[in-house]
Amino acid sequence: MMSGESFSVASSIGGFGQEVQNTNPNPNPAAKKKRNLPGTPDPDAEVIALSPKTLMATNRFVCEICNKGFQRDQNLQLHRRGHNLPWKLRQRTNKEVRKKVYICPEKTCVHHDPSRALGDLTGIKKHFSRKHGEKKWKCEKCSKKYAVQSDWKAHSKTCGTREYKCDCGTLFSRKDSFITHRAFCDALADESARLTSLAAANNLNFGNDSMNDTVINPQPGLPLGASQFGSGFRPELSGMAINGNSLGVDQQKPRLSLWLNQANSQLNPTDMMGNSHLYASSSSTAFPEMMQAVSGNLFGSSSMPNFGNFNNQQFQGFDKSVSTSTNASLSLSALPHEMKEEGNKGNLVETLSSLYSDSQKKQSKPSMPMSATALLQKAAQMGSTTSNPSSIFGNSFGVMSSSSSNTTTSFNTVNQNRNELHQALQNSKQQAAENFTASGSVDGMLRSSNLSSLTTSTNSFDQLMMQTSGKQSDPVALKNHPGSNAIENSLTRDFLGMGGRESQRPFLAQELAKFASMSSAMGLSQFTGNH
Amino acid sequence: MAPMLQDEGSSSVTSSPLQLFSMMSLSPNLGSPYPFVRELKSEERGLYLIHLLLTCANHVAAGSLENANIALEQISQLASPDGDTMQRIAAYFTEALADRILKAWPGLHKALNSTKLTLVSEEILVQKLFFELFPFMKVAFVLTNQAIVEAMEGEKMVHIIDLNAAEPAQWIALIQVLSARPEGPPHLRITGVHQQREVLEQMAFKLTEEAEKLDIPFQFNPVVSKLDNLDFEKLRVKTGEALAISSVLQLHSLLASDDELLRKKSPLAPKNLNGIHLPGVPQINQSTLGELLEKDLVNGHSRSPDSATSSPQSLSASAKMDGFFNALWGLTPKLMVITEQDSNHNGSTLMERLLEALYSYAALFDCLESTVPRTLERLKLEKMLFGEEIKNIIACEGAERKERHEKLEKWVQRLDLAGFGNLPLSYYGMLQAGRLLQGYGSDGYKIKEENGCVVICWQDRALFSVSAWRCRK
Repeated sequence: MMSGESFSVASSIGGFGQEVQNTNPNPNPAAKKKRNLPGTPDPDAEVIALSPKTLMATNRFVCEICNKGFQRDQNLQLHRRGHNLPWKLRQRTNKEVRKKVYICPEKTCVHHDPSRALGDLTGIKKHFSRKHGEKKWKCEKCSKKYAVQSDWKAHSKTCGTREYKCDCGTLFSRKDSFITHRAFCDALADESARLTSLAAANNLNFGNDSMNDTVINPQPGLPLGASQFGSGFRPELSGMAINGNSLGVDQQKPRLSLWLNQANSQLNPTDMMGNSHLYASSSSTAFPEMMQAVSGNLFGSSSMPNFGNFNNQQFQGFDKSVSTSTNASLSLSALPHEMKEEGNKGNLVETLSSLYSDSQKKQSKPSMPMSATALLQKAAQMGSTTSNPSSIFGNSFGVMSSSSSNTTTSFNTVNQNRNELHQALQNSKQQAAENFTASGSVDGMLRSSNLSSLTTSTNSFDQLMMQTSGKQSDPVALKNHPGSNAIENSLTRDFLGMGGRESQRPFLAQELAKFASMSSAMGLSQFTGNH
Repeated sequence: MAPMLQDEGSSSVTSSPLQLFSMMSLSPNLGSPYPFVRELKSEERGLYLIHLLLTCANHVAAGSLENANIALEQISQLASPDGDTMQRIAAYFTEALADRILKAWPGLHKALNSTKLTLVSEEILVQKLFFELFPFMKVAFVLTNQAIVEAMEGEKMVHIIDLNAAEPAQWIALIQVLSARPEGPPHLRITGVHQQREVLEQMAFKLTEEAEKLDIPFQFNPVVSKLDNLDFEKLRVKTGEALAISSVLQLHSLLASDDELLRKKSPLAPKNLNGIHLPGVPQINQSTLGELLEKDLVNGHSRSPDSATSSPQSLSASAKMDGFFNALWGLTPKLMVITEQDSNHNGSTLMERLLEALYSYAALFDCLESTVPRTLERLKLEKMLFGEEIKNIIACEGAERKERHEKLEKWVQRLDLAGFGNLPLSYYGMLQAGRLLQGYGSDGYKIKEENGCVVICWQDRALFSVSAWRCRK
């Protein structure tokens, strides 16, 4: 296939361009040919510079008899056979075929540089046409122009096959531009504004307060008239979120039905947003259902566990019905039923939660199980606000370490354990902690970790040890007290530094901090007073 | 290990619920008509658990196993994989601590683990559950795909390398988007790397089916391999094609190394695994990395000086990671999208890692508690995915500890040093991701942008980060 004329490096050839590779669109992965890395041509490949005329030329090979043009010499030769003319088919040379790479003749082009040459003749031809050529092919439907015929063909296959229409009447051929448009479309803004006003009236917490400026939260869609999901979701979502006020359940019912109706009417597979809807076709479980019956899943996944946990004892039946519905794929028809149930229970929920909040003296946190994150933060805070943070840690620490032995544990054990830990601290201390401001308790460790996420906690123990040194007597007295029967009892009591109390008041959350600050003497006396 | 506390409260006789702890041993199973008391107990139990966990960890770190044992005993009475969030977390953390202690007796440890059954089907199921129960993977896929679509605009030959080809959904979505391009779909090749052949076969089947449906020239090349010893030749990167690399939660395992050995060593020279001499390789890389290892990371190479000063230690050296990055760089990809956990679980001391892990996994468990009912599936996910990660972070050291999650800023530094430049993720991609999170039904999920990278959070706790990179000459 190689012609007799040789191609010198970087010379401009006025004659022929040839294809050395088969332009197979589906290269076989088992191809034996070694391939180079992309963008970096083989350094000892032959760089071929073809003139623009050569690149653009088609049908270079012309039959002298009938003037028919051919793109390849071989085709011409075969044609000549038909005229009974002498023909010669060139064979592939036996010697090692030298790899050829091509550069673009256009000087301003990136690919003009030999180090950025392209390895494919067809590729360079198409590239040249596209970038530096005239666009001769035009799509009939949308009048988009193309320089390369194959591009044009590919386009016209899909042109107009998928169209998107916004509610405002604008037509789009591109999905992404359609979606971007919808985000800002005025027609949608009106609808969402209606819903927003309803939500605002019900004083729902959008949960945006804590966000800083750099947060792109799902919110912006709302004022701008986001997609139907966005606008429909936000008010209801925040109302039913875990951190929301459960008292709002009752109020949500009428709005939810409104929103559901809207979601129903707008729900349309082709309106699905960007990539997310595409997952619907792939996974076979709840996710596609979620996208298509998104309101259902909202109910199932977020609000159900909330209520389930909260009302476990009272609402057994409710819980059961809820849990079964979450497992099955939720259909919209099931929802009104659930909503009604919630409406009925809503009153009960209200009374219960008011009971709870009363007895809790209006705890700042919501009246449901605290999240683990909240617990960690609380534990971290507990030490910092008190003067005797070690009372929590020190006492129980001392006691725990000696609880393996009996009540008659001597003072030495405590000392021993302290020393052990102290040593461990020295050993494990490897780098200085930065910005360490906590007062040196377990809680201090948590806080510092939360703040800088890197500082070591070993410093805290140092400080802790210094503080507990002043408290040596306490664990001893505690242990040696005749009243302390089971170590487990004393252990648990000492955790918060308080023993049994005479008062009938239920334990309050805020008192946790108070207990922490109680002096150990006080804790002891209470302990003494109890059993 | 079922806690007696779980389904009882105090009667009105006892004054303080704390006394319950003592009453427990005496008179179990007191019924409670008031749920708020249960909540209270849950809270104080949670606090107590935290306290016990930290105490135990200190003992373990100090080597005083007796005391650690006592603490473990106490925790086991309160923790449970079936209980509330804190109980679950405590259960997995204590298991990890116990595992760590047990490693002091290697014979015992090996014997106890010798007949452990690890079913491949279960592992695959757990990955699927993680994909479905959480939106994190989906958001990562949406962002990755959008970055790919934008980078590949105008390209006719596209080659994508997926370093963990387990979930076909990502590429099916991409195929659909690419087929709708105005200039027509490109010729698409996807090379998937995974350890299990069955997973790759399933992937090949699903993707080829989708591509055929949409009439796109498509090819899937499976590569059965671990990332540690990935042979880059097998990836068959060709000239003239535009290459994109997608790595979802894979890179951190390459940071695993025998830390003690490598701490003082200078970094290895960047290896070109393909053996091709690249004219533009910046030699400065080696010396820079070396310098950085010797002093603290406060110099002009750090992209964000603030982050450099806040981290007291410099990047831990990892020859494996360097080598991998070099090899990737050598492929000159047009785009590389990396999704990683955004937490610092790679501290050098146990306590550091434990504290960080407590916060991270607390957020993850909270997220599950808030969004998914207490099903067996969820339990499996918690145990087989998070439990194993926690065990790895807490109990393992050296080359065995694979879950070396690091904060985004560290990854940014590493990639920068390896010769990659950051490509900010597009606003449109983030918009899509935000909408996806909205649709997930809980407003605890948040997404924020950080220097062109995206961080996915649960209630203000950063959990995962997605960033895009290009080759910098």
